[in-house]
Amino acid sequence: MPVDRGAATLLLYVAVLFVAGCEPRGESADLASSASGRVVTDADGNPIRVQPPARRVISLVPSATLTLGALGAEDRLVARTDFDTAAWVGSLPSVGGGLQPSIEAIVAARPDLVIHFGGPQDVQTPRRLEDLGIRHAAVRPDRIHDILDMVRFLGAVTGRDEAADSLALSIESELAAVRRSAAGRPDVQVAYVLGGDPPWVAGPGSYIHELIEMAGGTNAFSDLERRYAAVSPEEFHGRTIDLILLSRGTVFDARLAHGGRIVEVSPDLELPGPRVAASARELARILAHVP
Amino acid sequence: MRLSTDRLVVRYSGAARPALDGVSFTVTPGSLCAVLGPNGSGKSTLLKALLGIIPAESGSITVRNKPPRAWSRRDLARMIGVVPQGEALAFPLTVREMVGMGRYPYLGPLHGEGQKDREAVQRALVQCDIERFASRDVTTLSGGELQRVRIARALAQEPAALVLDEPTTSLDIRHEMAILELLRASADAGMTVLVVTHGLDLAARFADRMLLLREGRVVAQGPPGTVMDAPVLEDVYGWPVAVEPDPVTGSPRVTPLRSVEATGAE
Amino acid sequence: MRRVGLSLALVVLLACSMVASVRFGSVDLGTADVLSALTGVAPPWVRTIVVDLRLPRALLGALVGGGLAVAGATFQALLRNPLAEPYILGISGGASVGAVLMLATGIAGAGSWTLPLAAFLGALLAIVLVFGVATASGRGMDVRVLLLAGVVVAAFFSACIALILSVSEARTVQSAVLWIMGSLANAGWSNVIVAAVYTLPATVLLIGLARPLNLLAIGEETAQYLGTDVERVKRLALGVAALITAAGVAVAGVIGFVGLVVPHAIRLLVGSDHRALLPLSFLAGAAFLALADLVAKLVLAPTEIPIGVITAFVGVPLFLVLLRRSLAA
Repeated sequence: MPVDRGAATLLLYVAVLFVAGCEPRGESADLASSASGRVVTDADGNPIRVQPPARRVISLVPSATLTLGALGAEDRLVARTDFDTAAWVGSLPSVGGGLQPSIEAIVAARPDLVIHFGGPQDVQTPRRLEDLGIRHAAVRPDRIHDILDMVRFLGAVTGRDEAADSLALSIESELAAVRRSAAGRPDVQVAYVLGGDPPWVAGPGSYIHELIEMAGGTNAFSDLERRYAAVSPEEFHGRTIDLILLSRGTVFDARLAHGGRIVEVSPDLELPGPRVAASARELARILAHVP
Repeated sequence: MRLSTDRLVVRYSGAARPALDGVSFTVTPGSLCAVLGPNGSGKSTLLKALLGIIPAESGSITVRNKPPRAWSRRDLARMIGVVPQGEALAFPLTVREMVGMGRYPYLGPLHGEGQKDREAVQRALVQCDIERFASRDVTTLSGGELQRVRIARALAQEPAALVLDEPTTSLDIRHEMAILELLRASADAGMTVLVVTHGLDLAARFADRMLLLREGRVVAQGPPGTVMDAPVLEDVYGWPVAVEPDPVTGSPRVTPLRSVEATGAE
Repeated sequence: MRRVGLSLALVVLLACSMVASVRFGSVDLGTADVLSALTGVAPPWVRTIVVDLRLPRALLGALVGGGLAVAGATFQALLRNPLAEPYILGISGGASVGAVLMLATGIAGAGSWTLPLAAFLGALLAIVLVFGVATASGRGMDVRVLLLAGVVVAAFFSACIALILSVSEARTVQSAVLWIMGSLANAGWSNVIVAAVYTLPATVLLIGLARPLNLLAIGEETAQYLGTDVERVKRLALGVAALITAAGVAVAGVIGFVGLVVPHAIRLLVGSDHRALLPLSFLAGAAFLALADLVAKLVLAPTEIPIGVITAFVGVPLFLVLLRRSLAA
């Protein structure tokens, strides 16, 4: 009976996969079972030992790369991705894209720590690194407080805790300054369009939303149920929008603005990273010029 | 090898009337039997039932003393060579490869063709007069040539019986006669030959027995002289006909008449 | 004999591509380094690259390529359709849905087998659905219904994927698209074992069914008259070919073109007898994919080009040349 054969083969497949998948992992240096050593938790909840501090780091996450630079740990980096735009990484060998890097190139750089995207953003890279016994840690700089967490995390694993604390403090105080200067200004309804047709906008829970609120504006799409979503052009008619922010290079039908201002901003604004305070200041400046 | 049915009833599921309603007939070794009848009379159904492809509702079918479904498909294939009505070839194939398939019922998955197999194929090619295009692609052949290839394939099975479904429809005189002469020669050599056809005159010339079906029932069977009878044919085909001996061959010949109003003018 | 000559040529080609796949990669290693990595005396990172990355990847390419070609040839025979190929029953759609769901929900703590397993289960779902529809009449499997059901199920799964992606974040979408485009870059030894367990015995079984496949390629009625148990062979061959395809997609994503074009190319060279067509298609598919993977990983190193792109870019001109040659003959 073909059904039985199929069922038997499926069971065989599952069995084979279990056996094959359970092959002994390479030496994972992160087991918290070691006697001494402080342990920090990465964005996926895995424990990462901080001793010895990472000396050969590969960062697959551009904002983590920028953070390492801001911490003064540039010398720890041994490779870069094609998406690392900072000038000071230019001389490092590339491992390809951040989401599907060349594992071979990673291995050849002999890192003692690979920083990668966490959670649902990249499932495969950590698995491959795990199989090969390469130490790795996840970061998820999605929102402002994630950035501060990332700063402290990277500081801990590279032994630059003091630099990390001071960077975090300076970010927080700069952000507070932006908030103060924006307080008392008249409300500006802002929409951030990422592009697309129908237009994709930033909703509550997104990094952009936080920046807008911090800069003294109100997200015109605060009632959206998701962080980012495509909305029908009608939505632009139904709401009062004083300012539309467009990432440079985005195509947008200007008729949807009805009288509101359209300002193009640098795409860096969308990316959470250590320059968040500068982004907030930039936004506040734009908002101040609206009425 | 005898092929026979006894009061065979075959019904397709959901059909109002049976496709075959109590058909009894026999084909004996060394004879050629032609099955005729209007479209929908059950001719192809009879072949399929005889070969065990479709089940019978009641009645019996005998292929060499056993019902066809009691034989394995392989054994049946070694006994009966079938040339079905149509095949749609999707991929290229040489004539020799196609005729060679007639030997498959004798070959297991691990066996290559042996000397015996090659000889059987060669004999079949010669018998059907297609040896000269043994290496040609079958899709380049004419209808008549392709039909001879398919008959050669059936002969390569070295069967005791040949069953053909409308083997000469749409063939020209030369090809049609060549095939009928081949079938006649096979019957004379001892094979049991069963042919479904539309051609009454040629069937009468070549067959030992004819079987005439209408709406799943046997209307007449026997030597051509018995079956080729004007009232019988008119009843079966629903058209006025005249039957007389052919002046050249002496065999009964059918002439369909013009419709009734015109008869007076003829 | 043409067949023997072609087999030898393909074996040599396969061997050369696999050797090249181990010797070359996105990282520059010398021949001496590669050889010493294989014999065991080399720095651990060189050993990792050669033995844990390049070697399984070369083997996986050969297994998946060979399997897809054999499955493609089998579907072409059973469906009596030269346009048939392994994904025609919606198998790639089902596998993609399984993989995309796994990527979108991002269960990060899972072992390295969850993604291929999810893809495989998705593929099985497609197979069960399509086979179920095709046998619903109770009168055996109607291959025309199978074909239609496959097309419809594939469209349904495409819609599912679009829905999942439309509510996922950008990087997840990127990961999903990269997976679907097919890649051998995540090859590990566990994937190789799985691919081997499915592909090799299945290929042997299909070669054993070569004569019934020859007959079925002409027609089911004719096959019956020549001694084939048509229903049994159809279910067995289709089921086995579907499983080869499911396993291939589960470990390597949707790599197109191999299953369609390689059997046709071999058919142009040695004809439609499956006793030669199947094994030679396996060898040709294996060599072809191994070579394509070599190009995919070297051309824009360290960026990987999706391997489906290479199979199309290389396969199309190759096939057109062969086609012209055969038409001229």
